[in-house]
Amino acid sequence: AGIVVTGAGVATLAGVTIAEAAVVNRVEVRGNSRVDASTVRGNLTIKPGASFTNNDIDESVKRLFSTGLFSDVQISVSGSTLVVTVAENQIINQVVFNGNKKLKDVALKGVVQSRQLGPYNDQIIQADVQAIRDAYAAIGRSDAVVNTRVVPVEGGRVNLAFEINEGDRTKISTINFVGNQAFGDGRLADVISTKRSNMLSFLTRKDVYDEDKLRADEELLRRFYYNRGYADFRVISSFAELDEASNEYVVTITVEEGERYVFGDVSIESTVPGIDSDSLRNMIETRSGAVYSAEKVEDTILAISDHVATQGYPFATITPRGDRDFTNRTISVTYLVDEGTRAYVERIEIRGNTRTRDYVIRREFDLSEGDAFNQVLVRRAKKRLEKLNFFSSVDITTQPGSQPDRVILVVDVKDQPTGEFGVGGGYSNNDGFTATVDITERNFLGRGQFIRASVGGGNDSREYTVSFTEPYFLGYRLAAGFDVFKKTDRSYTGFEEDTQGINLRIGAPITENLYLSTAFKYSETSYNDYVLNSATIPSAPELAAVSRTVANGGHQIGALSYTLSYNTLDDQKLPREGISARITQEYAGLGFDSEYLKTTAKASYFHMLSEQADMIGQVTVGAGNVVATGDDLRVFDHLFVGQETIRGFDTRGIGPRMYDPVAARYVGAAGGTTYFNGTVEVSAPMPALSRDLGLRFNVFADAATLYGNEISTADKGGQRLDGNDMEWRASVGFGITWASPFGPLRVYYAEPVAKQDFDEVKKFGFGASTRF
Amino acid sequence: CQTSEVFKQGYVVDQTALDLTPVGSSREQVLLSLGTPSTTATFDNEVFYYVSQKRVRSAMFLKPRLVEQSVLAVYFDEEGTVKQIANYTLQDGRVFDMISRTTPTGGLDKSFLAQMLAGAGSQEATGAAVARSIFGGGQ
Amino acid sequence: CQSDQDIDITAYAQSVEPADVLYNQGLANLQAGQLTEASRKFEAIDKQHPYSEFARKAMVMNAFANYRQGQYTEAINTASRYLSLYPNDEDAAYAQYIVGLSYYRQIPEVTRDQRTSQRAIAAFTEVIERYPDSEYVEDSQAKLRYARDQLAGKEMQVGRYYLERKEYVAAANRFRQVVETYPNTRQIEEALARLVETYYAMGLESEAQTAAAVLGHNYPDSQWYADSYKLLKTKGLEPRENKGSWISRAGARLVGA
Repeated sequence: AGIVVTGAGVATLAGVTIAEAAVVNRVEVRGNSRVDASTVRGNLTIKPGASFTNNDIDESVKRLFSTGLFSDVQISVSGSTLVVTVAENQIINQVVFNGNKKLKDVALKGVVQSRQLGPYNDQIIQADVQAIRDAYAAIGRSDAVVNTRVVPVEGGRVNLAFEINEGDRTKISTINFVGNQAFGDGRLADVISTKRSNMLSFLTRKDVYDEDKLRADEELLRRFYYNRGYADFRVISSFAELDEASNEYVVTITVEEGERYVFGDVSIESTVPGIDSDSLRNMIETRSGAVYSAEKVEDTILAISDHVATQGYPFATITPRGDRDFTNRTISVTYLVDEGTRAYVERIEIRGNTRTRDYVIRREFDLSEGDAFNQVLVRRAKKRLEKLNFFSSVDITTQPGSQPDRVILVVDVKDQPTGEFGVGGGYSNNDGFTATVDITERNFLGRGQFIRASVGGGNDSREYTVSFTEPYFLGYRLAAGFDVFKKTDRSYTGFEEDTQGINLRIGAPITENLYLSTAFKYSETSYNDYVLNSATIPSAPELAAVSRTVANGGHQIGALSYTLSYNTLDDQKLPREGISARITQEYAGLGFDSEYLKTTAKASYFHMLSEQADMIGQVTVGAGNVVATGDDLRVFDHLFVGQETIRGFDTRGIGPRMYDPVAARYVGAAGGTTYFNGTVEVSAPMPALSRDLGLRFNVFADAATLYGNEISTADKGGQRLDGNDMEWRASVGFGITWASPFGPLRVYYAEPVAKQDFDEVKKFGFGASTRF
Repeated sequence: CQTSEVFKQGYVVDQTALDLTPVGSSREQVLLSLGTPSTTATFDNEVFYYVSQKRVRSAMFLKPRLVEQSVLAVYFDEEGTVKQIANYTLQDGRVFDMISRTTPTGGLDKSFLAQMLAGAGSQEATGAAVARSIFGGGQ
Repeated sequence: CQSDQDIDITAYAQSVEPADVLYNQGLANLQAGQLTEASRKFEAIDKQHPYSEFARKAMVMNAFANYRQGQYTEAINTASRYLSLYPNDEDAAYAQYIVGLSYYRQIPEVTRDQRTSQRAIAAFTEVIERYPDSEYVEDSQAKLRYARDQLAGKEMQVGRYYLERKEYVAAANRFRQVVETYPNTRQIEEALARLVETYYAMGLESEAQTAAAVLGHNYPDSQWYADSYKLLKTKGLEPRENKGSWISRAGARLVGA
């Protein structure tokens, strides 16, 4: 009698009993029309002549089902023949999605299981329909409708189409908060990521309701309250109701703020010999009496563990113990410093670097294999690797090593294309429309080297540069490189200045924030088609300088310079806290034509005035001086001050100026040997607009002065030099900056409030630069 | 301002643990108190080496200079008990130039142009034998 | 962002050509070197006559055609699909071999991530173990050794990086990894020579001498041994095998291997 193993759809195996191992000498396949018998035999574990047992049969059935070809499989033994009866599934020839606009075919293909050459099976189709509906709900279209159409194609195959009607966007009409007294609804709405729909939300997509996003918002609210003293804060409930008719959600979040706490007494206890607690006292950011803040506790722990690690105690761990006094609402915190588990780094495995070479990554680690595991050095390495800008992602994780006290550091990087073929355009009123075309490779041959070739120009200047930098010159962390440049400039009235030269530079970080770079710059200037167009009258000093240059066949400058810069900004693009200061000194001479010592310095201090309104205050001061170290200064070697230092004035707009008595008008800036300038500015996000648009307005006041011109009387010719004494110019104004997806745009209007009548004024400034 | 940084690398010496492992203590005792050695010298752990180094970097761009090195060598006898403990310092070390020659290794190193084009160039497969075997068995 | 236009599936009929005709066209194209055309023919069989005997043969041919075109990912996917459908078929050995070759062709140079080498090693090991009497075993073994040499080369590269910076523990453990895990690769001589350098720089003379002795014992006329010998000589030391040391025991294994 035959032993039948049946299984429909999912392989449910009926109990099959064979007395003991049986043998068949022939395998017969029945019911297959399209699928080849040898394919069925290929997937059986039962071979003619070989003995087989129950689980061979189970295994064979399971395998045949896993191919997805069959809707039913029956294996029976009659006499010495194994009979395999199959019912073939229809095969999908083509899967098609119609009516989808918001989600592309590629995205939908990833979501559904039915695919080309796969089985046509009702259960899978139903699951696919639901999967598509979920995909649409995730992008804010919870009322999408999906149905299927099937068309048979000969050869037992079918074409399958998903007909999709996307419906329109499900909006969030209102978000209301219940139970909040300390902070207003508006303030809390800014904290959470789910936003009410506004006219720009089709762009920002922030008004798509999503269950987990709401959970994440609860966490954001908790952190917000914990950092402002509300240690007992609780989110009682948060839910959204969908109003079917208007296809809109109403989100309601109920909170219980509880009492506001301040820090009680704060102390440190250390059980580690060699670490005495009062030496760490100044690390504490949680002052007793100040408002309780969870973030400040975390920062303190970080500061202490950093300090302790660099003192040679990498295994020390810091745990805070808070005890709450409910009556007078204080929390006193004790930081316990004790010996943690000892762990050493066994190996540093670098993975995913398909372009960057291993040593370019490994050299950013101050920690090597065999050293104690030190979180501070790992964090510093991660920051450095991210700053290289070679990788789209850098994750450093640990895996257990070969011994309990050994750990393997796994550095997973994802190389991102670092070669750019950039076309940049811009407009600024000192040189009009500018365009640059450049080829940049930031990670040349994976060695971390930087090369760049660029051609740029405005309406009256052309510039060609080729640059190269090796970040680790001779194994030191020295960024050595050179720039070769050629520039033609017609912005001076009447003649074309042609400058070319080379700049050799070496930059070296002194500490994490202090950077020193030195350079030798050689440049040759010459003037050609020295023709004067009739309309303009050149300033005598410029004319004198040009004719001298033409006379001795060009003007060479050889200058040694250094720049010391100090930077503790928290964010380079939009700094909220920190100082950025730099001082540059350039000594020109070395037997070449120009001989001067030029010193310029600038310092800016940024401070967050109000965290709630994201209002940033900035104070900048600057100064500069040039002194001749040989024969007197050329006009071009003087310092010029204008729009880039004091808004409201044109380029080279302030300072001493040449007056031509014959033409009875001013003919050009003559520059000065000393300048001072200062700026006070406050910026904040545009009111009434949501912050994620990146629009900020600023109000500022600039002041500057330029004086001490030292042009020789001979060079002045018949013209008169005016305004050579120290007169302060000042202006006030406001502006808007937009960090648009195409690049930063800024526009401002400034009104000069103190000026000399011969200064050149320009009240409206506009600048934009895009890279794509 | 303080620009130099001090790095204590390798094994963190713990004097109290050291006193717990005098001559004659067992291998397990050494492992327990001193921890896993930085490197060992034998398959069956005949010598444990605990290596710690101290480096000073006077400015961020300079190479950290090795100023101190101590190699704690714990020698075991056949029964696996500590026979002798020695300490080698930086002075015992030698300074010399490494051999610059390296054994050649293979692997693709895309030329700069290939990288820029980043096209998956079709490298010609050399499997002539493979092709022959296919056609042979193909029909 | 134009959306994909809607397709009317009824008109989406597909002309069906007989499988054997397609198959022979594919082979002809393959022989004539028209690899893309050959791939298209083999894929057509798979679409029009799925899971037929010709579809099976076409799949492995398509894997080879993709490999020849340098489309390694497609070759690996097609070959792996073949292996899952027909695990113990006569062409399975060849499909597994194609997977190995496809990874092998992509092995990057040692300063880069060597996971492709590891995948090549796994694939070739599969060929050697599951299909021991197939004609691809010999070439698989050769390419397996090459891939292992790459892994050893990476250990050496990192070891030299650390030795240059005088991080002796890191360097010693890396070179040791080569001596213990990759003894039968070309890197072994240099690994032993670097160990001599590392121990010598640390001042552990007995270890340095033993390492040099093992190197000399196994590769007496190697340039690396000559260098190590010269280095030890500068301090009047001789390569002397300290019997108990792990290196001499490792050395014994080398001789035995």
